[in-house]
Amino acid sequence: MLKRSLLMLVVLTLLVSATVSANTITLNFLEVMTSPERTALLRDLIAEYEAMNPSIKINLISPPYEQADQKATLMLNTNQDLDLIEIRDYSVKQFVNNKKLTDLTPYYEAWSEAETLTPVAIAAAKTVDDTPYWVPQAIFIKALYARTDVLAEYGITEMPETVEELIEICRQITDPSKNQYGFAWRGKGATMKFGDLFASVCVDDVANSEFIYSEDETFFLDPGFKQGMEAYITLFKEGTPPDGINWGFNEQVNGFVSGTTPFLIQDPDAIPLINNLLGEDKYEVVPLPVGPHDFTLIDYGFCGMGIPSYSKHKEEAWNFIQWISSAEKNGYFNEHWGPLPVHRTTFDINEHFQGKHYQAYRYEMANPDTFLLKTYPLASAKWPGWDVVYETDVQSVLLGRMTLDQMLQKWTDYWTK
Amino acid sequence: MREQSARYFFLIMIPAFVLLTLFLYYPIIQGTVIAFQKYTLFDMTNTPFIGFDNFKAIFTDINFNFGQIMLNTLIWVCVSLALQFVLGFILALLMQKPFRGRGIYSSLVFYPWALSGFAIGLVWAWIFNGQFGLVNDILLRLGLISNPVGFLSNPSYAMASVIVANIWYGVPFFAIMLLAALQSVPAELMEAGKIDGAGPLRRLFSITIPYIKPTIISTTLLRTMWIMNFPDIIYAMTGGGPSNSTNILATQMINKILKFYDYGQGSAFGVVIMVLLFTYALLYLRLTSGKEETF
Repeated sequence: MLKRSLLMLVVLTLLVSATVSANTITLNFLEVMTSPERTALLRDLIAEYEAMNPSIKINLISPPYEQADQKATLMLNTNQDLDLIEIRDYSVKQFVNNKKLTDLTPYYEAWSEAETLTPVAIAAAKTVDDTPYWVPQAIFIKALYARTDVLAEYGITEMPETVEELIEICRQITDPSKNQYGFAWRGKGATMKFGDLFASVCVDDVANSEFIYSEDETFFLDPGFKQGMEAYITLFKEGTPPDGINWGFNEQVNGFVSGTTPFLIQDPDAIPLINNLLGEDKYEVVPLPVGPHDFTLIDYGFCGMGIPSYSKHKEEAWNFIQWISSAEKNGYFNEHWGPLPVHRTTFDINEHFQGKHYQAYRYEMANPDTFLLKTYPLASAKWPGWDVVYETDVQSVLLGRMTLDQMLQKWTDYWTK
Repeated sequence: MREQSARYFFLIMIPAFVLLTLFLYYPIIQGTVIAFQKYTLFDMTNTPFIGFDNFKAIFTDINFNFGQIMLNTLIWVCVSLALQFVLGFILALLMQKPFRGRGIYSSLVFYPWALSGFAIGLVWAWIFNGQFGLVNDILLRLGLISNPVGFLSNPSYAMASVIVANIWYGVPFFAIMLLAALQSVPAELMEAGKIDGAGPLRRLFSITIPYIKPTIISTTLLRTMWIMNFPDIIYAMTGGGPSNSTNILATQMINKILKFYDYGQGSAFGVVIMVLLFTYALLYLRLTSGKEETF
C-alpha cells in the first residue's frame, strides 16, 4: 500500500514538473561583480521579477569575483547556455571582438526609458564601435572624500578646489612623528586612475583628445604632464605614508577611516562602507580638484548587462533587462550596492541619491565642461596589462630605481611602438 | 592464466589512464601548444602559430626584467624551502615523544596547511601592513622602531616578508611527513647507537637522517615544485611589487593571463617553469641516488 502511494506520488511529481517545465523558460544569468551582499540583492530582484512573470525562471550564476571574468570568457567562447551576461568596461571589447554579444540597437529604439539615461551611461553603452551592445547598470566615477573632523584640527575648513591646493594641504598637515599624513595613496591596482588625475589634467591638449591617451596620441612627453607627475611624486614623498606604495582599495579606505590620511579619492561605492565604519557626519564628499587648465578628468567605470549572440531567448532576456534597468529598479539596486544609477530621473525620485554625499557626483555629471568625460582606450590591444606596467614603473620611480624622464619615454614607446 | 592476468592488469589501468590523459596530459600538451601561438583573449578569432616569439617576448620584456624574475624565483624557492625544512624537522623531532595534549597541539600546528594560499596572503598582508599592521604595532610598542616599517612597500623587506608567510604555511607539511618517517625509525637502532656511546647529535646525523633519507628526498623535491608553482601568497600580499621585487615566474604567469589577457606568453612562462622543474628533478634524483651508492 505504502509502496503504491509512494509510486503515485513520484509519478504525480514528475507529471507536474514536466508540465511546469514545458511552460517555463529558464534564463541563465552570469554575474561577474560578485559579492555576497550584491548576489543577495540580485536574487531578491530576480524573485520579484519571477513572481510577476510565472513563465520565466532566472538561474543566477555567481562565480567568485576573482575568477568571474575568466568564467564569463570561457562560457561565452564555448557557447555555453547563457541568456544574460554581466559585462564590465574591461571585458566588453573582448566579447564584441569575439562576436559574442547581441547588438541591442533595435531594443533600445523601442525602449521608452532609454531617453532618461545619463550622458555617462549612454557613452558607456556605446563604448565599442559606437554601438549599444549592452545596458549599463552601474556607473563609477571618482570624487574627493575629506575627513572634515581631522582637517578642522589643523584649522582647515575650506576644501581644496585645485590639485595644487590639495597637494599643499597634504604637505602642510603631514607629520610622520604623529603618524599624520595627507593623501590616501593608491599603489596597487588601477593606479593610473589616480595618477592621471594629477598628471594628465596638466596637459591642455587632453581636453580635445578622445582618450586620456592612446596609441594615436600620448602626452607623456608634454612639459605639463612631467610637471604634474613631479607634483604627484612630491605628494608621495611629503604627504603620503611611504607604505602607500603597496596600498589597494582596502588600505586606502582604512587610511581614511583611521584619519591617517584625511583625503581619499574614490568611487561612490566607498560611501556605504565608510558610513558603516565611520558614520555619515565625519566626512564630506566634494568634486574632484581641477588642474591648472580648470578641468579634471572623469574616467568612468561601468558594468552592465548584455545578451550573448547565441542566446535562444533574446526577447525574454531583453524583457528582464528592461525591467531591471528602469529608473526605479536600477535606483534600488545601486542604492543598496553603492555605485551611481544610470538614469538622471533616479536622482529625482530616489531619496538615497538625494543624500549629501552624492551631490558631488551629481555636480560632476552636470558640469561636463569642467569634469570632462574621458575614458581610456579600452578597445586598444595595448590596454590590457597597461595597469601593471604603469603600477610597476611608478613604483620604480618612487623608489628611485628609474628616473622620471626614463619612465615618460618608456610609456611613450609603450603606446606608440 | 598469465595472459588473463595481463589483460586484467590493463583493464584495471584504463580508468587511471583515461583520467590522467584527460586532466593531466591533455592540458599539458594543449598549454604547450598555446605557448607557440599568438593567443590573447582580446582576439580569439585569430590565433596563428608564431614559433618562439612568445618566449622571445618574455625573455626580452623591458617592463618585467626576466633576469630579475628568475633571481626572485631562486631566492623565493631556496630560502622558503630551506627554512620550511629545518623548522619542520625541528618541530617533528619535538613532537616525536608523546606528551600531554599532543593530539591537540599537533592539529593546531598542522592547521595552516589546510588554509588556502590566497587567504593566508590576505592575512599576512595585514600582519605586515606598513601602517596599521600587527608587526609594526608590536615593534612600535616595544620601542624598537620609531616609525612604521613598510614591510611590503620597501623592496628590501618585501621578499623577506612574503617568504615568512610562505614558511608559516609550509612548515606543517614537513612536520607531518617527517614525523611519520621518524616514527618508523626502529627503536633498536637508537638503542644500539646509545650503547655504542653515540650522543644525541651523532644519533641524529648517523642514524635518524640516513634512515629517513628517502622521505627527506621526496618531500624536498615535492616542496620545491610546489613552492615554485605557488603564486597565491605573493599575489595577495604584494602582487609581485613593489617595482617587481617579489615577482616570480608563477606570479608573472598569472599577470600575463589575468592582466594582459595573453595566454600565449602566460603559457610560455608555464613551459619555462615545467622545463626548469623537470631538469631540476632529474638532476636532484641523480645526485641524491648517487650519494646513496657511496653511503
